[in-house]
Formats: sequence, structure tokens, C-alpha cells
Amino acid sequence: MSQLYEGKKGEKCLFMGNQAIARGALEAGVSVAAGYPGTPSSEIIENLAEVSKETNLYVEWSTNEKIAAEVAAAASFAGLRSMCVMKQNGVNVASDFLLHLVLSGTRGGMVLVPCDDPGALSSINEGEARHFAKLLEIPLLEPGDFQEAKDMMKWAFELSEEIRNLVMFRSVTRLSHASGSVELGEIPQTDPKAQFNYNGFILDPMEGPIVSAPVAYKHGLQQDKLKKAQELFEVSPFNTYVGPENPEILLITSSGATLYSREAIQLCNAKDKVGLLKLGTTFPLPAKLIEKHLKTTDKILVVEEVLPFMEENLKVLAQELAPRVGQKTFFGKRSGNIPITGELNPDLVATALAGILGQTYAPQNPEYTTKATQQAFFNAPTRDLTFCPGCPHRASFWSIHNVLAEDNREGFVCGDIGCYSMAFLPSGFSTLKTLHAMGSGTGVASGFGKLGQFGLNQPVVSVCGDSTFFHSGMPALVNAIHHKSDITMVILDNSGTGMTGFQSHPGLAVDAQGNEAPALDIPTICRAFGATVEICDPFYPFKTQQIFHRLLEMPGVKVLIMRQICALSPEKKRKKAFEMSVDKEICLGENCGCNKLCTRVFRCPGLRWDDETKVATIDEVICAGCGMCAAICPSGAITRKEAA
Amino acid sequence: MKLFAQTQLLEDVQGKGLCVGCGACVDLCPYFTTYRGKTAMLFPCDRETGRCFAYCPKAEVDYDAVYQFRTGRPFQGTPIGPHIEVFKARAGEKQTECSFQCGGTVTALISCALDNKIINGAVLTGSDERMPKPMLVRTADQAQQCAGSKYSASPTLAVMNKEAKRGVRKMGIVATPCQATAIAQMKMNPTDKEDFEDPVSLVIGLFCTWALDARKLEALLEEKGIQGTIIKADVPPPPAEVFVVETDQGVTEIPLSEVRKIIPEGCSICPDMTSELADISVGQVEGETGYNTLIVRTEKGAELVKMARSQGYLVTENLDGDKVHNLAQASGNKKKRALAQAQEKGLLNTPDDAGRAAMRMSQDALNKIQP
Repeated sequence: MSQLYEGKKGEKCLFMGNQAIARGALEAGVSVAAGYPGTPSSEIIENLAEVSKETNLYVEWSTNEKIAAEVAAAASFAGLRSMCVMKQNGVNVASDFLLHLVLSGTRGGMVLVPCDDPGALSSINEGEARHFAKLLEIPLLEPGDFQEAKDMMKWAFELSEEIRNLVMFRSVTRLSHASGSVELGEIPQTDPKAQFNYNGFILDPMEGPIVSAPVAYKHGLQQDKLKKAQELFEVSPFNTYVGPENPEILLITSSGATLYSREAIQLCNAKDKVGLLKLGTTFPLPAKLIEKHLKTTDKILVVEEVLPFMEENLKVLAQELAPRVGQKTFFGKRSGNIPITGELNPDLVATALAGILGQTYAPQNPEYTTKATQQAFFNAPTRDLTFCPGCPHRASFWSIHNVLAEDNREGFVCGDIGCYSMAFLPSGFSTLKTLHAMGSGTGVASGFGKLGQFGLNQPVVSVCGDSTFFHSGMPALVNAIHHKSDITMVILDNSGTGMTGFQSHPGLAVDAQGNEAPALDIPTICRAFGATVEICDPFYPFKTQQIFHRLLEMPGVKVLIMRQICALSPEKKRKKAFEMSVDKEICLGENCGCNKLCTRVFRCPGLRWDDETKVATIDEVICAGCGMCAAICPSGAITRKEAA
Repeated sequence: MKLFAQTQLLEDVQGKGLCVGCGACVDLCPYFTTYRGKTAMLFPCDRETGRCFAYCPKAEVDYDAVYQFRTGRPFQGTPIGPHIEVFKARAGEKQTECSFQCGGTVTALISCALDNKIINGAVLTGSDERMPKPMLVRTADQAQQCAGSKYSASPTLAVMNKEAKRGVRKMGIVATPCQATAIAQMKMNPTDKEDFEDPVSLVIGLFCTWALDARKLEALLEEKGIQGTIIKADVPPPPAEVFVVETDQGVTEIPLSEVRKIIPEGCSICPDMTSELADISVGQVEGETGYNTLIVRTEKGAELVKMARSQGYLVTENLDGDKVHNLAQASGNKKKRALAQAQEKGLLNTPDDAGRAAMRMSQDALNKIQP
């Protein structure tokens, strides 16, 4: 049994931010949670799914984020509390539905939880969900620490019910994935009943049909809801101030930057000079609260990650308040004091603060920096961003790369999001030539495949993961087939949502809660769409390449499913299919005829180049025993023996 | 011979469009492959010297060194190259009739060499639909399947390299002049490989004025609506100016002007029409369809011809003097044209400060070719 559910009121637990969010939702009495996996958000749904075995809670990994929002909305419409969870890009996907939802309004409390990734630590963009709060015209809450992550979550549901609309609760990587102490509250033992009422008057928010029309009226209503939220924000306990009555500088911050700012003030030894206004309610801004603080000083430093969202909103407000509070000087991103992209850290904030205070702040002893750089250069091995040992993607891209090179018609691959995104790097033999959103590889390929009439005669290939196929690959494939686009779609089927930790998807016979579920068969779907479909195992590159060559020469839409379970999957973990070994006598090493193909080009981390003996060796600890290197060794020096 | 590796090979040959797809660089290592008549590089290799560059017939070929090695004398620039005898020939009664290009001489000689175990296998060029398909054959029956000219440039030497790697020795190879040049360079063990063993014991060279880009030929035949299985392709002597394609569904003539457009660029600098570095060279006889011209160049070649004749594989006759003269003239003209082209492109005897050459030869030989 998990502490997440069993933990009693008043207990203090070490919780990851995402667990704190999940506990907050449980304390709010959430009934339905839906999401699509994406770092750093995934653990929220995973934790709730785990708890769902102990209480009446419905949790699902939806096919994509838009559907997750729709599933959660249905629960709200039926009077239940619900949430939908996704990473920042997910909000882009869900936004079409959400833009309608915020007009129609909600009933049971409904919270949208996007987890942003400043610095794009595990993302291929640095987009932010905050701007969506403004676009959707909904309140935005941003917890500044782990306790708040839990407490604010509960409050978010109450707020949603108060204004009868969606509330955005935004986390970031350093909050979702770090851990801290959280004092627990009560989990209510209620038994909410679902009932969808629709027989009331069309404008009745609780009894009528739930539609976005009449739009002008509903839009006005939506703005009223926002005003109401703003009034509640004025007295929110999640907006706090610490510092002197009349600080030299007022530092306004929120979210993960709160902790950096606190530390920066300490690092600058500036407690007496700097006041810290931490906002938990960042849109719409609580105007009266801001007015009160603006009156106390003339210099404002705004500390937030990525774009100047709060800074710009504050500036608009300050201009409106100027007749009463006077003209203020703002420091932040637009002034160049705080970087406009990437993650922040205490050093960056301290440097900015010191600069404004006229102090000097050296984040590190320069001597230490030099020494550390030297040590790293001489003693640390160079490690590229690469696929795991035994990863089927390395094998798949080996074949895709080689077939396209042999084919020699300047063919190329369009990709999208998954571990396979890394194939634009040398670890995937630099095979991907376009890389965009979920499912975009096939959509972009579908477009390329229609450029024949303008002279494009390069073979067009897309890659798509199995989870991505269901998420948004299917419409792209349908488009390509309907428009007779000439493409070969490679589905890299590693039997799970591999990158985020093997969450289930519609192709698997299990759902998020661990229940048996009907598995949708990808080849059958593709055939039904009208594609020519082949299936192969990328660990058998010769056969794979033969099939791929053949498909590449055929006109129309072809689908090649490269199927091999992820090396890290629970089913495979620690089990080697083969014991690998290198015959030192046969290994050609650096000689003409090989020149270190396995360790210089293929570069599976399980292979090591022995600089003394000038031969390749197997790192038995790391090797996953997939056998692929035996298939590529040009001299047959690498052999595989079935593992016992 | 100046030695370089993959980087320079790519720059000099692929980069300048000189690759004729002979297969000399293919399957020596994992980096060069061939697919549907085109040579491709899969990954870069950072070695400073490599067999790929050393064997390539379009990269730094030292004519004096390679002729010295194969014939005992530096390159002389004579029209049909070093030789012992010239005949006209055709397959004898021992050779089963099949679809020969002319007299069936090549098939007869290969059959004789295989039957007498002079060679363990022969690397020949068959067809896979409309693509040339080089293969190692072990019997005279299999050899017959490959009879007839293909006209498409074929990566025949890829098979030689692959089979050599697998340990096959005493191979016979039917080679175009560029391929015969590559084989001759291979035989010199230019990279001083310690464990080098020459896997080739017989080279039968083909006369060649040019080959055609295999993929472009396939596309041209498609464009011309030529249906069915190709039985034979031929370029009748002037003034015909056509390329004749015979399939099981009929005969089509394509104007040579259209066909010339798909000749690989690399053919234009080739000075060799008669495969001068082979043991035996075989081609057409002007105006006689059932015969071949046969040039015996080495002792080994002479012995095989003698054996083939005595065992009934081959019939030889004297070739008329004016036909030898005309052959020499045509061959001499190809040399002149090619070397002029190479000079114009800066690919002949390129000074060190101007980069690398495709070919190097003595001024004496050049003077003989271009008086």
C-alpha cells in the first residue's frame, strides 16, 4: 500500500513534486484522472493509477492529450472532480478542445495540470503552458514548493467549482521531479455519484446542455469568471511576502524560481535590502496586492523561467497603476538581467540581483572552474546522447540509414517525438532530417510525398513510435493514403510508451490501472487503411534491409513495422538473449576492412575499444545481449551464443 | 602509386562524377556497398590509406607501375596494348549453344577453365530483371546463364571482393577495361597487406567503348515502353547510330544520341578499349556476327586458348590484317579522345599542388598517343 493514499493527516512525507500533486488531488476528492505520458508529468497519473486499486478512482492513459482533456471534462460535466495531466506540448494538442471547454464551462471541479520543462531537459521544445492560461482565459496557479504543490492542488479544485471553469495548475521539471517534505491533509471518504443533467434551460450552467454557444454571451461570462478568480487571488494564502517594509528591490517570482530567488537573496547577503514577493496565482494578477507592494519601492526585479510572461503582465498592470504608485523601473528578461531562455539557477538569479544592487557576485572561484574543466577534459570519458545498450532503435536506424544510403536517391526520414528523436544525432547515424511534434513525421512525409509534380524524386520515409501511432500518427497515415502520397512509414514498435517509462497505450493488452484491455493491432489497422504492410525484427538487419529496399521502390503508402521490445522494458530487463564475445584473432580493429565499425560507428555502449590490444571487446556489465553487433561485424569476429 | 583513402576517393571519384560503379571499392570493408548499379558510401572511414582508393580505376592510376607489374614493361600507349597474338574466334562444338553476343568465345573460355579446374569459380555478370547481377559461378552450365553483353555498368568486382574475403581463391573474372585495371592494381597489393593472397588467376577482358548507367538504362527502357525479358542488346557498327534492344516481345531501336546521354561521366576519360591488362581480351569482329576478336596477352592466356582449342571449346582463325588495323585505329582513337578529356579536366598527370590525378603516365607514352 502506498503512503500516497495511506498517509494520515498531519504526517510528514518525503514526496516527489508529482506525488505531492497526486496527493493534493486525492485530498480534493478527485474521481477521474486522465493523461498522456510526457516528462516531467508522467508520475502524477502513474501514482494515481497505483492508488486506484485502493479507492474508487478512474485513471487512464488516454490516446492523446486532447482525449485526456475530453475524458476529464466528461467527469466534470457529470459533477465529479477531475483532472487531466500532460507535459507542456500536450496542452498544444489539447488546446482545440480546451478553447471550447472554457466557453461552455465546467461543473465538478476540473484542473488542467501541465508540467513544463524549462531548459528542455527532456523535451524537444521549450514551450510553455502559461501562455495558454491567457489564451484560454482561465486562472493559472503555480506552486512554489512541494507543500504548495499539494495544498494548491486541493484549492485549484475549489476554485474551479467556485467559478465553474477550468483551472490551470502548472508545474515545472524541478518541482515535479525533485522531492521535498510534505505535511499531509485528509483524504475525504466520500462516494461521489455521477449524473449528467441536461434538461434545464440552455443558459443554466448546472442543469442545461453544455455548449459553447451563444458565444458572445458565454465569452462575457468567461471574463466575469476570470474577474472572480482575480478577487479570490487578492487574498490567496499562496501569495506571500518576506522582506523589509520598504525594500531597495522588490523581487517578484513564482514557481520553481521561488527557491532560486530565496537562495540568491541569501547568497547576496541582501535580506535587508530585497523583498521577496512570491506569487502562487500568476494569471490574472491580483492587482490590489501588486499595488500594495509596488508602493513600497521603485525597483522591481522579476524572476521567472523562460519567456517574460509574468514580467509583461506586471508591466501592463504597473502602467495602469502608475498614477497611484509612480513610475517603476523593471529589471528582468527584457532588460537583459535574467536570461530569456533556458532554466534558471540560484547563481543566475544572484548575479542579476548583485548587478542591480551594485555588488559583485562570483558564482564560483575562477580557479575552481578552470580545474573542474581540466579534470573533466582529461579524466571523464566523452559520452554522447545515445540509445541504451541493446536498444532496438539503434538497430532500426542502422538499417534505415544503410538502405537509404545504398538506395542512393537522397532519400530522407521525417521524425517526431520519442526516444527515436535522437536519430538526428550520430547515435542514430544522423538519419532524421526533420523533427517536430507528435505524429508530425508522417504528416510532413505525407506532404513531401506529394511534391513529385514539382520534381521531388527523393524517397520519403517517416518514423513513428507505437504509442505515437495511436496518439497522432494515424490521421497522418490516413492523409497520406487518401492523397496517394508516396511514402514509407516505419513504425518503431517497441511495445510500450518507452521514453516515459512503459506506460500502456491502445496497442497493449493492459490499461493504466493494470486491467486487461483489448489491444489494437497496428498492422491490421494499417492494412484496413489500405497501406502495404510488412513486419520485421530490426535485430535481423539483413532481412530488415531486404524488405525495406523492396518497399522503398514501390509506389504509394507502405508501412514497415520494425518490432522489437524496448531493451529496458520490464519484460526484458536483465535477461540477455545472447552471450556476446569477440575473437581477438579475427577482429580487424583499425585495419583496412573494418576500422572499428562497431566502436567507431555503431557505438553501442556495450562495445568497448581496447586501446592497448587494438581490438573490440564486450563490456559484459553493460551489454544487453541483443546480438546485433554480431550481425554487423564485417569479419565475423563478434559471435553470439544463446544465453542459458 | 599514390595512396589515399575513402575521403579522397569520395572527393575525386564520387564527387567529380567519375564513378562507373565497377565495384572495386565495394565489400572490402563495411563502408562501400552497391545497390541497383550504384556504389554508395554508408559511413565515413578515417583511415589515411585504403584499398578502396588503391584499387579504384579512376583514382591515381599509375599506368607505368601497373603495366610494368602486369606486362613487364611500362605503359607504351600502343593502340591495343601488349599482346601475343590476335585471332578471330568462336565457340567450338564442345560448347553448348546459347544466347551469345557474337561468337560465344568468352563463355567457351570460361567453361574450359572451369571444366579443367584452372579456376575454382568465375565471377560473371548475369541479370536480375533489368539490373546487372554479378555472381560467382562454379560450373560451365551456370556460366552459360550469364552469356551475352549487358551494356549496363556492373559492380562485378564487388563479388570478387566478397568472395575473396570468404576465402575463395583461383577465381576467373570477366572484366571490362576499368575492372581489368582495378584487378591489376589489386594484384600489386598496393597497401602492402601482410596476409595478401591474390584471389584471381584469370582475367578475361571485354572490349568496351562505354557502358551505360544501369538505373538510367532501366528508366530509358521503361520510358520507351519496352516490354518483356531482354534477350540481347547491341550497337551495330556505323552508320547505324542505334542501340538495338531485343526482348521476347520484339525488337526496339533507340537512337544512339539518346543512349549517349546515360553513359557515366567516368567512361569519357577511359583510355582503354580492349582491356589491356587482362590475360585474354574478347570483342566483336567488324562486320562478322558469329565471331569474336580474340587478343591473347599473357602466357596464361595463351595456354588457356590452346587448351580450349584442343578440347573443342573454341575455334580460332586468322583475323584479316585490315580488321586488326581498323581495331587498332578505333582503339587508338578512344585513347586520344579520353586523354584529351582527362587533360581538359585536369585529371591527367595533375601536379601535386593542383590536387590528385585520375591517371598518371609517361610523357613518352602520351606523345605516342597524341603526336
